[in-house]
Amino acid sequence: MKKYAFELLKPEFASTVQPGDILVAGTNFGCGSSREQAATVLSGNGVRCIIAKSFARIFFRNAFNSGILLITCDGIRDVCEGGDMVTVNLDTHQVQANGHSFSFGAIPENLLQIVENGGLIEDTKKRVAAGLHPSPCQKLDETARRKKGFTMAEKLLRNNAGVDAIKPGDIVITHPDMFMIHDIYTPYLLDTLQKMGVEKIADPDKVTIIFDHCMPTAVAKNDSAHYDAGLALSDKYGITKLHVGEGICHSIMHEMRCAKPGEVATATDSHTITYGGAGNFCSGIGTAEMAAALATGELWFKVPEAIKIVLNGHLPDGVLSKDVILKILGDIKADGGQYKSLEFTGPAAHEMSMLARFTVSNMALEAGAKCGLFEADEKTAAYYDMPLSEIDWVCVDEDAHYEKVLTYNVNELEPQLSCPQGVDNVHPISEVVGTPIDEVYLGSCTNGNLEDLAIAARYMKGKHVPDDMRFIVVPATNKVYKDAIRLGYIRIFVEAGAVISHPCCGLCCGMPYGLMYDDERILSTANRNFIGRQGTKKTLSYLCSPAVAAVTALTGRVADPRDFATEDV
Amino acid sequence: MSTFVETMLGAPAGQPARITPDLVVVNDGICHTAVEMAGMVRSPAKVRVIFDHDVPTGQPEAARAFGEIRRFAKSNGMRFIQAQGVGYQYLLEQEVRPGMIVVQGGSHASIYGSVGALGINVSATELARVLEHDYYNAIVPETVTVRVEGTLPAGTTMMDAAMVFLSDNPCLAGKSVEFSAPTLDAHQKAVLCSMACETGAFCAAVTDTEGRDVTLDLSQVVPMVTTMPCPSRDVQKDAVRQPKEVLQGMKLQAGQIGGYTGGTIEDLRLAASLIEGKTLARGFRLTIAPATSADYLKALDEGLIERFIDFGAQISAVGDHSVVTQGAGVIGKGEKLLTTGLYTYAGCMGVEDSEVYTGSVPSVMAAAVTGQV
Repeated sequence: MKKYAFELLKPEFASTVQPGDILVAGTNFGCGSSREQAATVLSGNGVRCIIAKSFARIFFRNAFNSGILLITCDGIRDVCEGGDMVTVNLDTHQVQANGHSFSFGAIPENLLQIVENGGLIEDTKKRVAAGLHPSPCQKLDETARRKKGFTMAEKLLRNNAGVDAIKPGDIVITHPDMFMIHDIYTPYLLDTLQKMGVEKIADPDKVTIIFDHCMPTAVAKNDSAHYDAGLALSDKYGITKLHVGEGICHSIMHEMRCAKPGEVATATDSHTITYGGAGNFCSGIGTAEMAAALATGELWFKVPEAIKIVLNGHLPDGVLSKDVILKILGDIKADGGQYKSLEFTGPAAHEMSMLARFTVSNMALEAGAKCGLFEADEKTAAYYDMPLSEIDWVCVDEDAHYEKVLTYNVNELEPQLSCPQGVDNVHPISEVVGTPIDEVYLGSCTNGNLEDLAIAARYMKGKHVPDDMRFIVVPATNKVYKDAIRLGYIRIFVEAGAVISHPCCGLCCGMPYGLMYDDERILSTANRNFIGRQGTKKTLSYLCSPAVAAVTALTGRVADPRDFATEDV
Repeated sequence: MSTFVETMLGAPAGQPARITPDLVVVNDGICHTAVEMAGMVRSPAKVRVIFDHDVPTGQPEAARAFGEIRRFAKSNGMRFIQAQGVGYQYLLEQEVRPGMIVVQGGSHASIYGSVGALGINVSATELARVLEHDYYNAIVPETVTVRVEGTLPAGTTMMDAAMVFLSDNPCLAGKSVEFSAPTLDAHQKAVLCSMACETGAFCAAVTDTEGRDVTLDLSQVVPMVTTMPCPSRDVQKDAVRQPKEVLQGMKLQAGQIGGYTGGTIEDLRLAASLIEGKTLARGFRLTIAPATSADYLKALDEGLIERFIDFGAQISAVGDHSVVTQGAGVIGKGEKLLTTGLYTYAGCMGVEDSEVYTGSVPSVMAAAVTGQV
């Protein structure tokens, strides 16, 4: 595969690059190359160091884990060209070329060791073989934790890593308080752990395995292998927190109060970011990283820049937190939060319920964000049954440095739709109303919670969808399902003409729970409408709030919930 | 004295008859191709177009079929039904009355015989002809009369009895099967009639016939399974039914309640009664698919769905899940499934190198607890 590196940009690259060469690049290097292969083809060609003005988020992790040293440095690109000699001094944090010298941020010893050992898998293998001496977890004490002047991401990371001084771009070693593995990655994770020679993981009690993407088993040639591997992981490594077909991992994680405010969590899924709604620093990682993190108990993060998002006013009736995040996504676009911490504050943020906050954090990912954080307040404390005084340090400091501040007055907000074919193609409902819709999907870790079902039920009670409308409801978890049965929501949906599927990721992740054909339109409460995700390449996919979903299902055309009455349920 | 089928068709056995149905049913099963063949529809008010198999659609192709039969229904002004569950059960409960003739593409049209209606299974080509002309011609079949006696032993169901009947009477192809079964309840009659044409009988019905060409002694019924998985759907009618003990101890990875049969409220009640105080075997996946929305709502009200959820079952959407190549409940390479559904041919519930066996509700629920037959 390595001969194809930069094939389209620089065809001669693979034949001319020499082992040990340093690449010097511009901004957002590695963008669009989220696969691990983008980094492995470079390391396969002997590239050991890349210096760029900035790096794409996923590539940054993958490259280090493939044994490539990445240095973020602003000026060097302008003072050298191909073939020049560049010197990197790791002791003095300096890069030099053609008589110019630039400094770069700290890179922890552990990370250099990963590079030195040729990548994460090899590094972990060596550490395991040498008897593995995990670094101690030393969180900050109460006084240090409460020090002001930091963004929430900085606070959460410095607390966990036990580092007093911290700034964006620094790399810190955390000891995550919670790890979650879902069934998409169970076979690969098991395989990687074996390759690393891991016989025992650092702390099985901090790990949860959830079968939700491939359970119920629905893709015959794959899913049973994921099921078997999940059980094998549980058996081999003594992981007793196992949820088989009980609902969507992220919804279960907050429902079980697993990822707590003030803590750091990680999981093998991009929407791990959801728990940010509770003021938890959480971000998704790949298989190799999860394997290493399980073995060592450690995980490195680059401290992100932060954007403060102030939400003023009160949400009008029929306008929900989903509309808020869709509006933001439409404004800042899919890359507007690239490796940033989006930090939500303001009266409308505090007015949101916990479930409404999880919706916002969940979708912050679609702007490329590293995390989407809400301040811990009374609602957070009540939801997690924790004293507020334990978690109220997770808040926005007036004197913290934010790269940008965005202010919204939600009084004026109208319902928003993400339109085909991209999450950031957002339009206010007034521009989309009346569009015929063939299928409506109510569910997902974004909007499949009890509150979401309640909102839809209020619009649908006693009414019926057109006889050719496919209306599919998938409660997020078994608990949501059972509560919705008891509260009568499920009956309302069935009487309205819905089909109910068992709690799982379902159609949201493109699994076969209502896939569509060419030119058909689906409107869903999920978080992604990428091309082909819910059917063929020509299926048109829209994203919206549960209120819009309900009234659209009733009329067969995109409808505005503000034009509809609700019933008590 | 005329037999049931002779009376319904107005001609003696062996004679041609013009069959003019009261109800014509098109669904997304194998007969949906009839909509491409039918140039026009003579009596749209008689036709029900039902989407009840691939629910929710497991592949884009199923959505294409949905669109096709929906357009067909709309352009001809016919009633389109979806999200109601298995069409047979839905129509049996909602529309079919004694004395009606129902023409449908599917081997379980005989279920309507349980309420004294004549349900006839036709090919897609014939179905298209019926849509166009409002009738078709057939030779009135010979009748086999069956006397149903005795009571079922504990642990067995009408599903087992029906399998015993099919196994003991291999030569039913083309016949009309008439049961005299005064002791059976409505659900048992439906199961018996629905299964009776699995080996190629023309139709079946429960009547008050006094004939007894054959006796089905319920007291002799044992738990049954369809054993030898068949290589293709074409030879499914030759599947072998044997006492369950021949598979005793065989390890299973999955079970299904539903799959056309097994998902009615009576079945769900029975299934729920068998898991009291028990736990799902580790590594065993249990899928429960209620037959119709009405059954599902009853099960909600009776707390059955919650009990199934707590047991660890996966609740599938209502519908006919007897063939699922992609969708909830499929099995993978080398896996074995025991289902109350009807098909056992290779690939009917997932990949081709998996094995599907059919059995009764108690057999599936026992497997869910033990992980084996």
